[in-house]
Amino acid sequence: MTIDADRLANRLEGALGSAVQRDPATLRAHAVDGLVPHIRCAPEDTSQLSAALRICGESGAAVIPWGGGTAMHWGNPPTHADVVVSLERLNRLVEHDDANLTATVQAGMSVAPLQDLLAARRQFLAIDPPDPRHSTIGGTVAANINGPRRLAYGGVRDLVIGMKMVLASGEPIKAGGKVVKNVAGYDMCKLFVGSLGTLGIITEVTFKMAPLPETFGTIVARGSLAQAAHLIDALFASALTPAAVTVVGGDVATAAGLEAAEASLAIWAEGFEEAVARHVRDIQTMAGQLGLATEMLDGVAHHRVWETVRDFGADGASPAVFRVSVPLAAVTGVLAVALGVTAGRPLRYVAHAGTGTVWLALDDPGLVAAWFPRLVALAQEYHGHAVLVAAPPAVKQTVDVWGPPPQALALMQELKRQFDPRGVLNPGRFVARI
Amino acid sequence: MNRDSLVRELRQIVGDEYVLVEKEDVIVYEQDGSIMQVLPEVVVLPGSTEQVAGVVRAARRANVPIVPRGSGTGLAGGAVPAEGGVVISLARMNRVLECDLRNRIAVVEPGVINLDVTKAVAAGGFFFAPDPSSQAACSIGGNIANNSGGPHTLAYGVTTNHVIEIEVVLDDGRVVWLGGRAPDPPGYDLCGAFVGSEGTLGIVTKAVLRLMRSRESVRTLLAIFDRMDAATQTVVDITGAGIVPAALEMMDRLTIEAVETGAPVGYPRDADAVLLVELEGVRESTERGARVVQEICVRRGARGVRVAQDDAERLRLWKGRKGAFGALGALAPNYYVQDGVVPRSRLPEIMRQIADISARYHLRIANVFHAGDGNLHPNILFDIRIPGELDKVIAAGEEILRACVAAGGSITGEHGIGLEKKAYIGMLFSDVDLDAMAKVRKVFDPDGRFNPAKMFPTPITCAEMRRAPAKIPAGLWI
Ligand SMILES: Cc1cc2nc3c(=O)[nH]c(=O)nc-3n(C[C@H](O)[C@H](O)[C@H](O)COP(=O)(O)OP(=O)(O)OC[C@H]3O[C@@H](n4cnc5c(N)ncnc54)[C@H](O)[C@@H]3O)c2cc1C
Repeated sequence: MTIDADRLANRLEGALGSAVQRDPATLRAHAVDGLVPHIRCAPEDTSQLSAALRICGESGAAVIPWGGGTAMHWGNPPTHADVVVSLERLNRLVEHDDANLTATVQAGMSVAPLQDLLAARRQFLAIDPPDPRHSTIGGTVAANINGPRRLAYGGVRDLVIGMKMVLASGEPIKAGGKVVKNVAGYDMCKLFVGSLGTLGIITEVTFKMAPLPETFGTIVARGSLAQAAHLIDALFASALTPAAVTVVGGDVATAAGLEAAEASLAIWAEGFEEAVARHVRDIQTMAGQLGLATEMLDGVAHHRVWETVRDFGADGASPAVFRVSVPLAAVTGVLAVALGVTAGRPLRYVAHAGTGTVWLALDDPGLVAAWFPRLVALAQEYHGHAVLVAAPPAVKQTVDVWGPPPQALALMQELKRQFDPRGVLNPGRFVARI
Repeated sequence: MNRDSLVRELRQIVGDEYVLVEKEDVIVYEQDGSIMQVLPEVVVLPGSTEQVAGVVRAARRANVPIVPRGSGTGLAGGAVPAEGGVVISLARMNRVLECDLRNRIAVVEPGVINLDVTKAVAAGGFFFAPDPSSQAACSIGGNIANNSGGPHTLAYGVTTNHVIEIEVVLDDGRVVWLGGRAPDPPGYDLCGAFVGSEGTLGIVTKAVLRLMRSRESVRTLLAIFDRMDAATQTVVDITGAGIVPAALEMMDRLTIEAVETGAPVGYPRDADAVLLVELEGVRESTERGARVVQEICVRRGARGVRVAQDDAERLRLWKGRKGAFGALGALAPNYYVQDGVVPRSRLPEIMRQIADISARYHLRIANVFHAGDGNLHPNILFDIRIPGELDKVIAAGEEILRACVAAGGSITGEHGIGLEKKAYIGMLFSDVDLDAMAKVRKVFDPDGRFNPAKMFPTPITCAEMRRAPAKIPAGLWI
């Protein structure tokens, strides 16, 4: 559908005032997979957002919800991108009820400033998205971005307890609440976590908080991938409760400030001093028995490792990024196969052994066509799946980045139809180009 | 419906002995743990996914409702066939199909009893975290439908956090898998939306459960308080100090009186509240955590704090808590349990409000609850033989729920809406919010065949609904 951009902009201006932009530089900066939108607008509150969605819906304009723009490489290229709706003005911490261990945050707030406010009351949000200065709460939740500490704290779906959203029709709805246990009605939050802005626009999220740990540190064990696999097995057979267990390989170790090795296993421990000391002691002993060299990192060195891990694949440095998700015990096996397939070509990886998430990055996007189907097949052997997270638009056009359609696709398509009958929200970007 | 032809068809699908129609057979299925009773028309006990699908298709052809049922311990009337039709009991599908400890998952059929999952994996050093107090009887299918919690879900999360994939039979008999064994399966999180849908979206026929590694050390403390305010403030302080206990349970004066009358464990009868705190983790964490909790209790004026020195003592400390529900019978012939939730920060004031409601209605209310997550269980004591008494109880219960909502909470933390609270869901959600849920219903069950008249407000209830106290099986607590 071709839209009359002038008329649409006029109508949006009528509803939103000066928050409607059309200068080419701004629009180019909001291209999605090369598709440049006609209009960018930034509603100041939910009622303006409702109005904007109603207007776009009436003109059949494709809406691209926009947080910090840090996860726009996710998904298939949109079929249309007419109006970028930025959440940047919904950027407040609504409430931090520290005695309840919860916080309610507007969708456009960035993660780093939020963490600063929470830290003032010795709490934090246990989600570590890449580039936290720019990534927003809404984007993190909509794209279901999980970090290394998911092992200890759960994923986005586990930490979100309430939400407000505006549907494609412009109707505002809410789901869940601010209590940690709540079974009233369907758990609508689950549908919006990871829906990539295709069911509605999230305007506010309530999360469970975690107390800031008394102390923290990282044990790094270096050796062969096989040795790392043994250490992971020993660790999970023990009663230890690490916050993150991550294998890095290729030049990721160097970027993280670590000595080069075939594989480096980074284990994050946090909590009471004596509990962290115990983790360090036990893990060093296990690693020693398996013949791995270890070092203990704290302060800046600890942060450097985990920031590198966190930002991996999202920093635009790699032309092709895959995420392979498998049950826990398959992680190192998947890595071994992947390394075999690349046969010497540079492959960088970050693999979360405690959650079953393997991130792979290739320098040559030309390999995607050959690689992606192999990774999909490899993941499927383990009841898992592979997603092409980032690639140049021309490459993305040739595949469905989400892999083969899920078995329940018909239900998903019907869900999309119920919530966005005209298909205006992020058209084409989600599974099977929903 | 043409009942005879439907029954004939059902018999062909599951076998004669698994289709019940006689009153003396179906009467067992007329109630769950709530006070609602409706005699089922037909009860079917399928033995496989294919049979469930066949039964669903037959019911659809006959255009009758379908009501899934697990163990019937639900407290909101969820398994009661309010509008007639076919009750599908999943009790025969009770096999643990696979325990894959390296991947930390178990695959089970829906009729498996909650406790049996942990029993199957305990020797390998694992457990299934959601532990409803009814875990000796309730089924995994019921847990999934109600998104059940338990005392230890404070630290580990409720059912939805531990169910990663489910096989479900849809309204047309289609069988689909939702979710996945690996994290973040592409597409909408339909497994997440299904958990907690109270049997209104389809029938769970298999589930892949997440297992957790057993903790190395457990520390249990029991603190006695002279004032409820001090006890609730202690809960707020423990959370505020950055301690996340595995369990944090509370009992009030009336509950203490019930325990000491019915099944004494040695609580001082003049105490106003008992707080039970359990910490789990590596030894170093639980030791320090226990010290901090003890200090907070003392600072808030606890009369005494006991720390269990061994397993036997730990069980003794839990004994009063586990016996509380059963002991209420020592105080009154009947009790009616509510399930409101408040933000933990609002516990002190909600307990005062409940005391006030109790006084105004002249009804005694015994509170025994999951204080750590703000999930109240006010048990309103009464005698059903006194005319009008039950209605008064229900009115008092409603007022408690209103107070919870006003405090920023919810009307149910774990028991579900079911028949019982469907008229109250509007306290929380607007018509537009409910309409969004109705869209989800349409996706899965466009004709509204599964568990009609549950969860959402409906103008009429067709079948005659009787009310009577449920018989709670022995070995369950609340
Ligand atoms: C003494 C006592 C203590 C309790 N303590 C707790 C507690 O601590 N925490 C807690 O959360 N609850 C508690 N409960 C409530 C109850 O035990 C739970 O809700 C439990 O999960 C219900 O399981 P069930 O198998 O008995 O389900 P049922 O009562 O048979 O059914 C419950 C609901 O699930 C649906 N259903 C059942 N099986 C399926 C299936 N396979 N597919 C789809 N839908 C299905 C039914 O239609 C119904 O709506 C307690 C109950 C009692 C009596």
